[in-house]
Amino acid sequence: MRGLLVASLLAVACRPPADRPSAALPAHRIVSLAPSSTELLFALGAGDQLVGRTTWCRYPPAALQVPDVGDGLNPNIEAIAARRPDLVVLYRSPLNETAKTQLARLGIPAVTLAQDRLEDIGRAARELGRLTGHEAAGDSIGAALDALLGMPAPAPIARVAFVVWDNPPMVIGGGSYLDQLATLAGGANVFHDLAAASATVSIETIVARNPDVILVLSDSSAPPAYSGRREWRAIRAVREQRFIMLRADLFGRPSPTAPAAVAALRRALEARTK
Amino acid sequence: MTRWLALGALVAVALVSAVVLGPAHVALGDLASSEIVRSLRVPRALLALLVGGSLGVAGVSLQALVRNPLADPFLLGLSGGAGLGAVLAIALHVGGPWALPLAAFAGALGAMALVYRLGLVGGAQLDPRVLLLAGVAVGAFSGAITTAIVSLAEAADLRNAFLWLWGGLSGASWDTVLVMLVYIPVPLVVLYAAARPLDLLALGEEPATHLGADVEPLKRRVYVAASLLTAAAVAVSGVIGFVGLIVPHITRLVWGHRHRALLPAAFLGGGALLLFADTAARVAVAPRELPVGIVTALVGVPLFAVLLRRWAGARS
Amino acid sequence: MSDTAPLVAVHGVTYRYPHSPGDALHDVSLEVRTGEFHAVLGPNGSGKTTLVRVALGLVAPETGTAELAGQPASAWLRRDLARVVGVVTQREDNLFPQQVRETVLLGRYPHLSFWGVERPADRAAVTRALERCDALALSERWIWTLSGGEYQRVRLARALAQEPRLLVLDEPTASLDVRHEMELFELVRGLVDRHGLAVVMITHHVNLAARFADRVLLLENGRTAAQGAPGAVLTRETVERVFAWPVAIEPFDGRPQMIPLRQPKEPT
Repeated sequence: MRGLLVASLLAVACRPPADRPSAALPAHRIVSLAPSSTELLFALGAGDQLVGRTTWCRYPPAALQVPDVGDGLNPNIEAIAARRPDLVVLYRSPLNETAKTQLARLGIPAVTLAQDRLEDIGRAARELGRLTGHEAAGDSIGAALDALLGMPAPAPIARVAFVVWDNPPMVIGGGSYLDQLATLAGGANVFHDLAAASATVSIETIVARNPDVILVLSDSSAPPAYSGRREWRAIRAVREQRFIMLRADLFGRPSPTAPAAVAALRRALEARTK
Repeated sequence: MTRWLALGALVAVALVSAVVLGPAHVALGDLASSEIVRSLRVPRALLALLVGGSLGVAGVSLQALVRNPLADPFLLGLSGGAGLGAVLAIALHVGGPWALPLAAFAGALGAMALVYRLGLVGGAQLDPRVLLLAGVAVGAFSGAITTAIVSLAEAADLRNAFLWLWGGLSGASWDTVLVMLVYIPVPLVVLYAAARPLDLLALGEEPATHLGADVEPLKRRVYVAASLLTAAAVAVSGVIGFVGLIVPHITRLVWGHRHRALLPAAFLGGGALLLFADTAARVAVAPRELPVGIVTALVGVPLFAVLLRRWAGARS
Repeated sequence: MSDTAPLVAVHGVTYRYPHSPGDALHDVSLEVRTGEFHAVLGPNGSGKTTLVRVALGLVAPETGTAELAGQPASAWLRRDLARVVGVVTQREDNLFPQQVRETVLLGRYPHLSFWGVERPADRAAVTRALERCDALALSERWIWTLSGGEYQRVRLARALAQEPRLLVLDEPTASLDVRHEMELFELVRGLVDRHGLAVVMITHHVNLAARFADRVLLLENGRTAAQGAPGAVLTRETVERVFAWPVAIEPFDGRPQMIPLRQPKEPT
């Protein structure tokens, strides 16, 4: 009896070290810790291999059926481990370094993917395609995004600004995938010179840069709340109510639907500048 | 007399630079006709003056009330309450342009009432020491709830809520200026009328009573008036720290301890300080903008350390 | 020398602090007229400070009456009262550094208009008060540079700047050395003799009280143990009983002086 106990203890102690993802079989219990990767996995056809997502993963609608394991940044390791995953997809960020280490200690394979810009999506599609046994789908999505990014940017037909918050005023800069989408659609982001993905600016800077159109991430068609405020009406585009609403399903995160997003934005810009 | 002229000149320079300087280039000749100047810079400069002034006066009064020269208007839990109100408004998606300021104001008033109630000992007496402790406790408590809400709210609002709390005058408009102009005179007058009794309070409550001050009503009036000023400041511009702490000390260095001079000097000095800080916030990393609360902290902390050493040295 | 109407008229007052098992004061009376120096003596906790608070209308007695300058003590408005009575409390915690003249000027508060503007008359009153307290030389000094004795004189000057008819002093010589003690008592005696003030002084200094005061009130557990001229009050039996310590009483300068006797404990 004691021999059996010792043997099983030894067996546990001698488990193989954490698998490197590249060596694993196609993963079928995947926890995705970023909305972009969740969407990508569904686009690859690997949706039924998902066993966990973050609270913020809402696209496609089928994702809502996947169990919620909490946040994607500083994730809840216990909740993740409870899903018994054989692969965890992490968002690349310094905040997730600890999570990576903790998962490794538990012997759970994890892969970290950058998911901030459009080129990251192509790369992620190919890698996740490989890991989930959907190489063909991964390559196809990657190729579509490469083609999109490879096209020469069209001549700008409108000057735009993305205003994401009003107090303090925050705009999207050149570092964001939204800026990339705008450029590809023929919209010149007046804050393209800001290297960051988003930044706080004074209202007067927006007035001075005088965008033709203000792009707003919103699913409703109502103009944003600040458009009624006196100080915001110093901006010509606000005064003239020149807003374009961008739907969250297409524009909320870098996504394989980028080509469709670019086309939608192009159509909206053309309509505005007629 | 020359001190006052110098202070007036300082305020004038601060106002002018706030109107002339900015991330968007406006030529001097175009200043009068520029939309940016008329609709944005001028109201923002006026708001900075009014908010900075209110914080300066509140700081002087509260330091006299709690008999602690290290007190800051935000020490009494008002910033915690305001932050909680504002974050609740953001998290619940309360609409309307005035939602945020009103919610912050309501939160600050709630905190004020709670701290007041906690500070009452033995029936109707306000004990300044208990007031301070209650303020810290209420501030910490509301801060904890705020953090909890922020961590449970939508991801986009998370960072934005904290940016609001750091303070900023970006919501300045002629409407906001008008509201402040209508609102702050009453608390300011109440505090100015209490200037002489506040001098007496510096001796202690018992000596002040024997010298003729009606101490209990005085404490109540000063607490409520200073809190109302602070609540208004937080409502329109978030939590801008260090103004209420530093300005009283600087004015005391120049004007001494007579509140009849200190209160007006603190109003002008606080206004000038915030004007300079806001101009720096707008211009230093243009086109980006720094939260003004960070500028006041960056300037205020070293300044305060210097003052502290002088003050400690003078006392020993 | 004395007016007919007493400045302080406390009759048969009884007072108990909330949640307290016994009376802090029981059936105590005190009458003070202009030109009289009263000393209030007694062991710790005998009710000396409570008596003063009742007399000044800060607390209302359960029985008995307390009147100040003809009016019930509790009916006085603080500011009006401050023009009649100057109080030097036991301790003061002046947080903000000030110059002497500034701190004495605070004593003019009860005479200032609503907006608190000082007039030349106020500044003259400050100078007079400093002169009377032999503190004029200290006018421009910062208060934290003053010695204990000098600071007490400045506080006394502030009370005098109120131009009161009555001075109340709560243990003004605690922690002062003999020279400063004597100087203060002489000062107070001079104010009574030359300027017709009335003085009520709480003190632990039985001997100096006996030498300088006109009348003495000796309290014991909130009750009057003895009241009257020093010679009548400070007898050996009374003092020994009240202070629970053996003493000898020796006359000096026509006044009784208390000499505590040794009572070494037996080693157990």
